[in-house]
Amino acid sequence: MRVILADDATLLREGLARLLAEEGHEVLAAVGDAPSLLAEVDRHRPDVAVVDVRMPPTHTDDGLRAALEIRRRFPEVGVLVLSQYVEKRYAVELLTGDSARVGYLLKDRVVQVDEFLDALQRLADGGVAFDPEVVRRLLSTGDRDPLEALTPRERDVLDQMAQGRTNAGIAAGLHISQSAVEKHANAIFDKLDLPRATGYSRRVLAVLHYLESEGGE
Amino acid sequence: MRRWLWGLVGVAFGACTALLELVYVLCAALVLLWPRSRALAFRGARALVELERRRLAHYFGSSHADQPDGARALQYLALRGLVGLLGGVLLLLLGYGAVGSVVEFRELWTSPHPLEGRSSGEKFWLTVYLAVFCAVMGYLALAGLIGVSSLDRALARRFLEPDRAERLQRRVEELSVTRADVVAAIREERRRIERDLHDGVQQRLVALGLLIGRARRAGDGERTAELLAQAHQESQEVLRDFRDVAWRVYPAALDAGGLHPALEALAERAGMRVELHYAVESRPEIEIEAVAYFVVSEAVTNAAKHADARIVSIRVQREGRWLVAEISDDGAGGAVADGAGLSGLARRVAALDGRFTVDSPVGGPTVITAELPCA
Repeated sequence: MRVILADDATLLREGLARLLAEEGHEVLAAVGDAPSLLAEVDRHRPDVAVVDVRMPPTHTDDGLRAALEIRRRFPEVGVLVLSQYVEKRYAVELLTGDSARVGYLLKDRVVQVDEFLDALQRLADGGVAFDPEVVRRLLSTGDRDPLEALTPRERDVLDQMAQGRTNAGIAAGLHISQSAVEKHANAIFDKLDLPRATGYSRRVLAVLHYLESEGGE
Repeated sequence: MRRWLWGLVGVAFGACTALLELVYVLCAALVLLWPRSRALAFRGARALVELERRRLAHYFGSSHADQPDGARALQYLALRGLVGLLGGVLLLLLGYGAVGSVVEFRELWTSPHPLEGRSSGEKFWLTVYLAVFCAVMGYLALAGLIGVSSLDRALARRFLEPDRAERLQRRVEELSVTRADVVAAIREERRRIERDLHDGVQQRLVALGLLIGRARRAGDGERTAELLAQAHQESQEVLRDFRDVAWRVYPAALDAGGLHPALEALAERAGMRVELHYAVESRPEIEIEAVAYFVVSEAVTNAAKHADARIVSIRVQREGRWLVAEISDDGAGGAVADGAGLSGLARRVAALDGRFTVDSPVGGPTVITAELPCA
């Protein structure tokens, strides 16, 4: 796939570029600050941009703001955000709106080369990739896995959701009515304790949680 | 002797200004009846106070820094005028006595008809009597003059300096500011440490992990060996970075040996030519040492990073009660005292009641001085 890297740490940027090249991907540009990232994305329209949150000019969350802008201006470009810490706020902002092709990983996760490459691949295929840590924080569940509270039927619905199907698609697939799917969906959201009033997609969160515990597709 | 004469001149001058002041106070008292002209009257009063302040500083070497408001200035001038007038009267007495006694003596010994029919024995006793009388009167007049000059200064202290409550209040205000500043400075330092850890050490660790990850994925043994060698090299870099950060957080040498070895280590690590002149006999308190160290460290970092300096010279010495650290470099200059790094230092120094100055004209050289009070 075609990738653009943005990280102000030269060493890490080079390391990632080498890794991706070794894996047969094409690194179109590797930049160290938010404005040049936007310029390069505009120029190349890569499949995925890998973006560090903390970058010049202000060293706060310039990278994240650039990532959100990329989502807005070039929806076809996937964005994988790397962050030093889990910042719930960042994850929420990324998940708001159209939440396909976004990813949010802890920076240290890059060290798990396989997982990192896998996340990139998932984004390129139109999916999402969120750090387990991020998901855990977003769902802020207790010790017990809320998925266990789901009925078999609800699990089926969630499984279909995770495959990216719409409610209509799920209804067709499971041979139930669309309103039943909606009812199941709401039950799922309630059991997973996903607040109704939040701005980000409860559906995505539910899917994330599911993927997390199922260990992938 | 010179100081005495100088003081006499001061009192004489004070007597002249006293006349002026008393006249002014009387006029001002009339003018004050019209509220509109009040400000003008007060302004004149303040100008006269300024004149007094200069006279006191010039002839008596006492400085009084406060600026009283208009009404208080007039009060001061009225009282001060009376004291000055007293001084003038005493001076006149002294002068009159001196001239009078000289005339008396001359009459006694040189006139052709001195006190008809006195014997020379009587003349002698008269002379002794007169001399004793003059000495006593002269002494009294001089004592009076000393009294006037100290009264003068007492008045100035009373009116031209903040009283105790006010001084305390100012001190409290000052302390609140420096305390808030110290908290801010510490927060700033912590932020810097966090950034050092993340942008330095952590990035290197992630890069190291990446190298090892790539080595594990590499198919052939040769490539793996090469990547591992790189990773090994990288791990040493991480360690060096880590040591540097730890040192920046707190130089352990400060605790062990004090300021001198800490500064020596700093000079060695600076990566440029640093000349250290350290001339302090006994170790200052640890708080003083720590602040002095951070001032020097920051100044050297700035010289290297922003000023492109080739040589930095560090002088640390005691001047009386003060520990003075002076850092000068031959760099480009143009450092601003309220920039991020330097203002933090200024706060740290202020918190110890020290003085901090930055002299950095564009084009250099830059001289940063911190003076810290030592017990």
